[in-house]
Amino acid sequence: MIPFEVKDCTLLARMSGLPPAFNLRELRERIAVCGENVLFHHFCETTLRGTFDNPDYRNDFAVWSKLYLGDRVVSERLGILDPYAFPSLGELRAATLEVIDERLGESTMIPWARPGDEFFFMEATTVVFDTGIRITHPRELAAFIGAMTVGSVYFHFLEARRRPPIGKDDFTAWLLENGNGGKNRKYIDALASIDFYFHTLPHLRSELVKVLSGLEGSK
Amino acid sequence: MSTPLGAYEGIVGPAVLRQLRQLGEKLAGTRVVHVNSTREGGGVAEILEWMIPIMRELGLDTSWEVIDGNPRFFEITKSIHNGLQGADVAIPVKGWKTWEDVNVKNFKRLRPVLEEADIVFIHDPQPAHLLSLCTRRKGKWIWRAHIDISRPFRPVWKSLKPVVERYDASIFSMAQFAQPLPHPQFLVPPSIDPLSGKNMDLSHGEIEAVRGEYGLDPSRPLLVQISRFDRFKDPVGVVEAYRLVRKVAPVQLVLAGGGATDDPEGKAILEDVIEAAGNDPDIHVLLLPPDSHKTVNALQRMATIILQKSTREGFGLTVTEGMWKGKPVIGGDVGGIRLQVVNHHTGFLVNTPEGAAHRIRYLLHHQDGIERMGSTAREFVRENFLLTRHLREYLTLMLVTLRDIKANVVNV
Repeated sequence: MIPFEVKDCTLLARMSGLPPAFNLRELRERIAVCGENVLFHHFCETTLRGTFDNPDYRNDFAVWSKLYLGDRVVSERLGILDPYAFPSLGELRAATLEVIDERLGESTMIPWARPGDEFFFMEATTVVFDTGIRITHPRELAAFIGAMTVGSVYFHFLEARRRPPIGKDDFTAWLLENGNGGKNRKYIDALASIDFYFHTLPHLRSELVKVLSGLEGSK
Repeated sequence: MSTPLGAYEGIVGPAVLRQLRQLGEKLAGTRVVHVNSTREGGGVAEILEWMIPIMRELGLDTSWEVIDGNPRFFEITKSIHNGLQGADVAIPVKGWKTWEDVNVKNFKRLRPVLEEADIVFIHDPQPAHLLSLCTRRKGKWIWRAHIDISRPFRPVWKSLKPVVERYDASIFSMAQFAQPLPHPQFLVPPSIDPLSGKNMDLSHGEIEAVRGEYGLDPSRPLLVQISRFDRFKDPVGVVEAYRLVRKVAPVQLVLAGGGATDDPEGKAILEDVIEAAGNDPDIHVLLLPPDSHKTVNALQRMATIILQKSTREGFGLTVTEGMWKGKPVIGGDVGGIRLQVVNHHTGFLVNTPEGAAHRIRYLLHHQDGIERMGSTAREFVRENFLLTRHLREYLTLMLVTLRDIKANVVNV
């Protein structure tokens, strides 16, 4: 079996170069033209960024709409968008714009943020580290994941879905590659059972350990 | 004396140090020069004091250069500094010429080291003109703005912008502090040193000694705001909040800050605070000398709740320090306090003395909330606002700048 190489990662954030948005219409205009890296940052990298995990919503657009536009309707609609459920970032962008367009159509007044509360568009460089740790058997997964940094959990379970094979986490991809007659199916099924997007990274780590623990001996 | 990197392992864990050492291996031998305008005093010098030795320990060939200037130069750069933060200041053409001349004089001295450097960090506007002079530079130059320049006095920014836009990149503490510039603008928040006098663990005896010195009652709740006596820190608003709470709970208040004797406005604010406090024996207004780090540390550790009721704020490192002591923070809904204080998780954001009083009373009624939020706050700081994260971002930024400044992914 090819060993699983445990990586770790951190982010280095930077301004995207787009002007900030002061209202819902400007938010829409900027989302329509921003780079995919920007979209990914505000939907997916929020969980790893150096800001507090807002437990209400998992993406920055929903959080901003709630806190600074005071539009709970659009924040709820944006908040339920799961970026990993879309086959591409282009489709995620289209869905996001659809939500905002719908709300703009319903509103008689465009909600504005106060000066100082505008939305800043950012992106990040992902810095990937090889930890030197190798996992050689699926039964070791739970123990190793339990000891991983949140950066490793993010890289292998979330960020991985952006890399080929698209839509698959690294653990599943490794288990499939080394499947040998489907003997890894129980691990793959356990990983697939997690509704991961709405977890914070420490919770996700606990959840991974929980579903993978005790699989030995089961069929 | 500098603290070796290994001393932080017990606080941040081995994975964090492993990342730093891996980055150090990739950058070993890189010639890095930091340039600022003072060797001691002020936040920038404090950062460089710990950062330079650790960068050297990691194998980078790092030096710290300080520009010399005459009193006139520092008057001008103070005006530039204030103008960048929005103050209406008049800087005559002659003033800008003084700024340039002092940079020219310093460049003559620093020329060899600046020309040979792989990376040069120029901190704040004082030495910013060096880039224009260093025509034979080999490395990348990065401008580090430590202040909020989002709403500058336009004439000042108009003069400085053509200088800083020639840099290869810039660094701001928060997106909210930046100005549009034609190069990559990285975001690196500041940090605290958990082993410094202000933040290190203190013994029970050390804490009790401070409590005794200021006559604080250990049996009653204590509210603490640490900050200089400045209008934007709203110390009078804190006294108002205290009075609203005092009607129903036997709280004590400490307002402690640095000296304001040479600052006419600061002195006036201090007088206002003393007047607002009146003869109330449970309000302690402490004017502390600048080196009272352990006293501040002890006051934060004995606090029940930390207050930072600012109406305007930079990043708000006193909030970070309070959170590191495992305390919930009631802070003004401004600046970097927003990045740190999240309602019901690490404390509460408030806009008025009434709001602060309401949240103080809420917390006093929810002792378990005080403990839970304090513990969350400490972990949040451990994860995000300790110097190891700060250093990692500088090292990463160097690696990215030397390889591909706009890369989406960099492998170490």
